[in-house]
Formats: sequence, structure tokens, C-alpha cells
Amino acid sequence: MAKNQNTNQSASGNWFVRLMKTLGRWAKRMFFGGSKELTMDEKLAVEKLESPSKLAVKAFFRRKLATGALVVLVCMFLFVFIGPYFIPMDLNYTDPLQANIAPNYSMLKVPDELAANVRSIHGFSNFTVGVSGDNNFYLWGYTENALTKVDYGKIPDEVQPGKVEAAAAGSDHIIVITTDGKVVAWGNNSCGQYGVVKEGDPHRQIPDLLLNGTIDASKVDQLICGYQTTALVLDGELYMWGNTKACLNLNEMADNYNKNVQKVALSNYYAIVLFEDGTVSGGSALSFAMMSAVSSKNGNISNLKPYLEGKTVVDIAATNNCYALLLSDGDLVVFGAAEYGETELPAIPSGEKIVQVEGGTRHFICRTDANKAYAWGHNDAGQSNLNGEEAANIFAGPKQSYLIGEDNQLTKKIGMKGYIFGTDNRGRDTFTRIVHGGKMTMTVGAVAVIVSSLIAIIVGCLSGYFGGWVDMLLMRVTEIFSAIPFLPFAMLLSYVLQTKPISENMRIFMIMIILGLLSWTGLARMIRGQVLAEREKEFVIAAQSMGVKENRIAFKHILPNVISVILVSMTLDFATCLLTESSLSYLGFGVTQPQPTWGNMLDGANNSIVIQNYWWQWLFPAIFLAIATISINIIGDTLRDVLDPKSSQEK
Amino acid sequence: MGKYIVKRIMYILVVFLILSFLIFMIYNMLPVDKAAETARAEVQANKRLNYEERYEFWQKRYGTNGSKFERYLRWLGVYPYDDGTFNGLLQGNLGDSTQYGKPVIEMLGEPMKNTIIINIFSTILALGITIPLGIFCAVKRGSKRDVAVQVGTIVGYSLPTFIIAIVFIWLFAIVLGWFPVSGMSTAGSLTWSAWDRLWDRAYHLALPLIVMTFCSLGGMTRYVRASMIEALSMDCIRTARAKGLREKVVVYSHAWRNALIPIVTLVIGWFLGIFGGSLMIENIFALNGIGRVYYTALQMHDNEVVLALQMFYIIIALMGNLIIDLAYGFVDPRVRVNK
Repeated sequence: MAKNQNTNQSASGNWFVRLMKTLGRWAKRMFFGGSKELTMDEKLAVEKLESPSKLAVKAFFRRKLATGALVVLVCMFLFVFIGPYFIPMDLNYTDPLQANIAPNYSMLKVPDELAANVRSIHGFSNFTVGVSGDNNFYLWGYTENALTKVDYGKIPDEVQPGKVEAAAAGSDHIIVITTDGKVVAWGNNSCGQYGVVKEGDPHRQIPDLLLNGTIDASKVDQLICGYQTTALVLDGELYMWGNTKACLNLNEMADNYNKNVQKVALSNYYAIVLFEDGTVSGGSALSFAMMSAVSSKNGNISNLKPYLEGKTVVDIAATNNCYALLLSDGDLVVFGAAEYGETELPAIPSGEKIVQVEGGTRHFICRTDANKAYAWGHNDAGQSNLNGEEAANIFAGPKQSYLIGEDNQLTKKIGMKGYIFGTDNRGRDTFTRIVHGGKMTMTVGAVAVIVSSLIAIIVGCLSGYFGGWVDMLLMRVTEIFSAIPFLPFAMLLSYVLQTKPISENMRIFMIMIILGLLSWTGLARMIRGQVLAEREKEFVIAAQSMGVKENRIAFKHILPNVISVILVSMTLDFATCLLTESSLSYLGFGVTQPQPTWGNMLDGANNSIVIQNYWWQWLFPAIFLAIATISINIIGDTLRDVLDPKSSQEK
Repeated sequence: MGKYIVKRIMYILVVFLILSFLIFMIYNMLPVDKAAETARAEVQANKRLNYEERYEFWQKRYGTNGSKFERYLRWLGVYPYDDGTFNGLLQGNLGDSTQYGKPVIEMLGEPMKNTIIINIFSTILALGITIPLGIFCAVKRGSKRDVAVQVGTIVGYSLPTFIIAIVFIWLFAIVLGWFPVSGMSTAGSLTWSAWDRLWDRAYHLALPLIVMTFCSLGGMTRYVRASMIEALSMDCIRTARAKGLREKVVVYSHAWRNALIPIVTLVIGWFLGIFGGSLMIENIFALNGIGRVYYTALQMHDNEVVLALQMFYIIIALMGNLIIDLAYGFVDPRVRVNK
């Protein structure tokens, strides 16, 4: 049995090798002339003469535009076929907080003055705020809202250098407490982030004391912002305000759990509070009973509540979906809906004890008593690449990690730098999707062209060489296929496929085949015409008189002579297939989301809001698609010119 | 000639039958059962009814009982329903639209008119630009202006319609604000005077027409130029020049006539092709045309509309082939078909 398989394999291997050899020989014959080795004398004799194909290659490279297009196309191929190995993509990744960000690369640009003397760093989505040791306020990152054109980077006059005590940033608002005890806020306040709340809205207004009065700034223990919410711990008392739909236990915590508070942590849905006596509460909505968790010392815990009994919590942190509790013995407990490995706690070397924990949107950082930092969780931007780096203090940005040295200097910053091509409406990086989408678009185009060319070669050669009823039959079939209106029919087939229970990859493969099946007729007719002309030439008669089989004459003697037509047509068809694939995908009948292609990346761009405000979402895929098809068409046109002896007399 | 036309029409009928059978079979792969749906709804409304019985009744009514081949013949209108009547394509029945709740034939009138208007106008516009431009490029072959136009046309036909449309919307509708972003008419324009309504319609159709024209410029200009170059290199042109004819006469009378043959093919083929091509434009600009109806029917699973329109597209394509063959004969006396 095994032997049988082996021979099968080698047989198919042989077949493949033979095919490759034949193709190689054609290519060689095409570009470098015949395969016969010449003696020195013959070489000298023909030195002045060059084969037409060699001349064609030279003529091709003499044209600057075509050479440029070839270089661009090769670069693009390398970009989309090698790129995905360096830039991995999580197909199902979405992050609403990162949606619709314009191209920018400033998310990790901590101002130098702040880096020299850091007191605090805080951020929630796209921008981060920091306060330096000498009470200066700093803001960096993507501070705009592309839709409303609001720039959160416009700092109000009340925020003066040297007079800022604490600052925190939410997804679209910033809260600053000055040394005079004034609370300054700016950004979006449509959901009660600050200012007066309209009657009847599900929002909790900022307490009067903070809105109009002043507080003792030196007594601020903690100021943090969540998604449209803010929490302030002032001398052991908790103040919370903002959107009660964004923090479901906001009212309960602010009303009932606001005394003797040590620290508060905000996830995307809940707040948890650490009290001065070392207990933790999340209100009635987030009860710890029956909640499973992961502990760094004891592994999986099935019920968190009894586990915490009698233990003292010293620090808490939260990501969007997970919470971390640090117990006094250095035991770290993480619970919540972990999607990105938030519960895969790092191995801390024995002898070290965790003393601090901080949370970003999807990753945690912790610090041990040996002043070493460890990070875990989502690592799409390298924010969790920490394994024992020196740090006297740590801060977590939304997708960044900041390590602070002994003298309050910023010693290391890692994580999301920004998006060079922006993000789409689901928070996915456009650049990554262009790389992966290009691979898909090019693959679909290439397979479709190969399928269509194979059919065209077979039909064209048979029909042209044999003539008679074969020709008659095949040409009628060709006519029937060419009568099918391309776009509507492809849409219909794709629609039928959508209703069938087949996998996404299978569907994409079927779409490649459909594109190929519907686009071979033009080339088949062209090949037939060429073969008809070649058939009458002497070498065919010679081959026939030598008794070469008819199939062999058609495919081995005549086909190489029409290869230039095929080559030109394949090049131009490739561009057409790229266009049809992207058109189909744009209409939603080709490759569908979340799998990107250059066509379906544009399907969000069919309304004026996207076209106007989120220009990067359609401009970059369009540019890449345009450059690819333009270079392919230029190459194809030039090939046609240089391979056609008639048009070489041009100029 | 007459014999040839009859032969071609017979042939087209055969091709139509093959293609319609093919498409009917593809359509039958869709998981729809109109009789079952109606029967289920009936039984749900009135619990006393027997589902099996009602299902059989509706199957007979809709003609969905029997083999696929029988159903196809019924759809064509050459095989009787159970009550002995014929009701299919030949009788002018294309089924009902579930989305609009009326026969397909009735709901297609207005979109058909719009599509034809758009396509005729854009064809006229495109020809008006491309033919002079192509002739100019062919006559001034190799000049800087020719090269510039050549590069421009490569860019033009390399870009897909939707990208050109998006860029034009961005530029003309959003940045400059000259045209509306999409739609066929201003809301509430039904009460306006006829002249105002016409003007409003023209205002809304301007940008789609510009985009369609622009999209066809690249390919058509290249085609006109290529066939004109071919014509200009013929021996008769050299003779004409040698006998001292003015260049204008040589180009427009002698060369242009010869160049016209492939161009006629292109224009007719292209005009019929854009019925499929305007699908994209109609969807981007939300114009109520055939293409948009087809697209929404696919989206809303309005299957009988899909089937009818698919057949319409095929008929258009087949008619196009016939007209091209005949037009060849009319334009070029040498290839007048005498078989």
C-alpha cells in the first residue's frame, strides 16, 4: 500500500516536473532563442544576429515607462506575498475604540519634557495624557474625531503650565485637576462626561462640588477615566460620573460604595472599588460569587468569593473585559471574559513578589518587588513584550506600556505607535488589511487568469488545428459563453453559492473558478485565429510528414508559436480579473468580510459620510488597486508592442 | 441577406434556450420553495388547514410540482399547468416580485426607462469625445500630446468604475458641492412643474453620466486610435496622398471610412454591454435602474425578479451579437454576408 502511494506520488511529481520543464523551455525559447548549443564558429557567425525574442526583451527594457511599471509590479507582488508573513492579521479582531482613526503615528510620542520627569500617564483609547513632576500637562496621540472634526488636542486656557495636579483621558474626553483645585474638562460631553446633564438622559452628572467649587488638590488619591465615565478618589471618598450605560454599576458604586476608597478600576462595563480595609467590591451587578478566575499561585479558581475571604487586596486593575486583583501575599487573581490571553499569567521567578498591577485595554502589566516588569494579554502592537525589564514604576496606556525608572524618568515605552494608513470602521488597521487583501486579490486574479487561459488554450488550439466539426462545436460553445453577461451572471452564481453550506475558503475558490470560466472566450478566439495561420506553415507539414501525432503537433509545435499572443493576453486579463474581483467584492458578491480584499475594503465607502470624513478608508485601497492594474496594463501594452513585429516599425 | 438573418435568429433562439435552461437550473439550486412558504403562512393563519393538502394545492397553482424539466417548460410557457393553462415567458408572465408584491413585468417599466436614458446619453457623450480624440491621436501618432493621451487612457481603463465614481463624488459632490451625492430627484419634487422636474432630473443624473462617460473614455479612445492607425497605414491612403488630396479629405473621407468597421462593432457591443456595466453606477448613485433592481433583488432574495432580469441581460447580449453581425455587412460592403 505504502509503495503504491509512493509511486503515485512520484508519477504526479514526474508529471509536474515535465510540465515545468516544458514551460521553462518555452520561456527559454521565447527569450533566449533555440535550445541548440552553438559551436564557437557558429557563434561568431551569428553574433550580429539576435533572435526576435531577445530583441523584444531589449526593446521592452528600452522603454522607461514599461520598465518602471515592471519594477512597481514586482515590488507590489513582494509586498503582498511576503508582507503577510511579517505583519500577521487576526481576521476576527475588532475594536470599536480604535475605529475610524486617521493615519497618524503619534501614539507613543511622549514629549521629552514629560519623559524626564513623569508623575502619571493615563489614556483610554487613542490619546494619552501625562502629568510631569513639575505639574505640567502633556497630551499626545490621535486627538481628533474625524466625523465631528473636534480636536481634543486644543487645551483650554485654564490648564496652565506648572499648575496641573492630575489628569486622565477617556475615549473622547479629558479631565484635569489643577493645583488650585479646579476641575477642568474638555472634549465630548454628550453623554455626561462633564458639565450639566440634560434631564431624562441616562447619565450621571459630575458632582456639584467638582463642577462649580474647588477641592483640595493635594488630597486627590486617584483620577481615572473610562469609556465616557470618570472616577475620582478624593481623600478616601469616591466620586463617579458619566454615562451609566457605559458603566453599568456607576450609580450603585457612586451612591453606596463611596466611602473609605483606596482605588477604583474601570472596565468597559463595570467599575470595581478597592477599599482601605483591603476588600474589593463591584456592587450587586458584579458579584464575585460563582465567578471563576485564574490565580498566579493556585491556578484556576472555580469560585472567587470564598477564595478572597480573609485575604487583603492591595492593588486592582482592569482592562476592557477583565479585572486583576493583587493580594497582599503577591498572589495575582485575574477574572473576566478573557479574549486575548489576559488570564495567561506570566511566570514570575521565585523570590519575586508582585507589588503593582496596571491594565490597558487588553493587556496587563505588573511590577515585582525586585523592580522587574512583566506584561501579558493582547500583544498586537508589542505592548506585552515585557519580561523582567527594570522598572521602579509602571503605567499602562490603552495599547502601550510605559516603564519608569528610579528618578521618575521614562526608561522604556512600547506598544502601539499609531496607524500609518488609519483604521476602518471596526478598528482594524488599514495597512495590515491592504497587505492581506492584496494577497487575496492577487491570488484570485492569478488563479482566474490561469483557469481562463488553460481553457482558452485547449479550446483555441483544438478548434484552430482540427477545424471541421470540432471547430464548429467549440466555437458555438465559445459563443454561448461570450453571450453571458459577465457581472450579473457572476453575481447570480455568487448569490447561489452564498446560500450553500460551504466554507468561506471553498467559496473563494469557487469564485476564482467562476471568474475564470466566464472570461476565456476572447483569448480562445484569438488563439484559434493564430493557430489557423500557423497551421499552414511548412514546419507543420514537416512534422506531419515525420508522423508526429496530431495532438503533439497542436500543443508542442504550434502552441509555442502563439505563446506571445497568450502572454500578452494573460497579462491584460490579469488586470481585468483584478478589476472584476474587486467590483464583485465591492458589491458584496465576491470575497466577503472579514476576509479583506482591495475591493471589499472599499465597500464601506458607498456613502458620503465615509467618502468625506474617512478618506483614508477608501483612498489607500483604491491607490493600491489602481497602481497594480495600471502597471499590469502598461506592461501588457508594451509586451504587445514589442512582440508584434508589425508594430516594431513604429516611430 | 434575408436568409442569413433568419439563420442567425434561429441560431440565437437555440442559444437562448440553452442558456435559459442553464440559468433556470442554477436558479433551482436556490433553497426557495414558494408553495411551501405560502402553505406554511396559510396554515399558521388558519390552524384547521392541512399543510400537506395546501402545499399540494399551491404547488399545482405555482406549477412547481413535477420534474425540473417540466418546471422549466412551464416557465417558458410551452408546457401546461395542471389545470391545462399555459402561463409562462411566452404568455408574458415572468412571475411575481415578493418585494413589491406585483408582477415582475409591471415593476420593470420605470427602471428600464431610466437605464436606457442613462445609457443612451452616456454613449452619445462618450462617442462625441472619443472619436475626435482617437482620430487626433492617430494622426499625430508619436507626438507628445499623443503619448500624454495614451498614458491618460491607460489610467482611465485600468481604474474600476467604483473607484472613479468615489473620487468623482468626493471631488464634485463633496468638495465642490456642484452635484448631489446620489438619488434620482429632490424629495418633494413631485409637485413641481414639468420643466422644473426635468431640470431636477438632469441635475441628479449629471454626475452619474459624467462618471460613466469618463469610464468609457480610456478603452474607446484606444480602440478608435488603433483602428484609425491601421486604416492610415493602408495602401489606398498612400495613393490618396500621392494624388495630392488634402490631408483633411484623406483622414476624414478615406481613412475614417475604413476605420469605421471595427468601431461600429465596438460601439454596438459596448452599448449593449453597458446595460450590465451601468449596474455599478446605478448602485453607487442610487438610481432606480435595471441594475439596481437586480442588485436589490439579489439582496432581498427576490428570486423571480433575479431570474427575469438575468434572462433580460442574456437577450440583450444575444441581440447585440446579431446586430453586430448585421452591422458589419452594412458598414463594409466587402464583408457583406452572402452565405
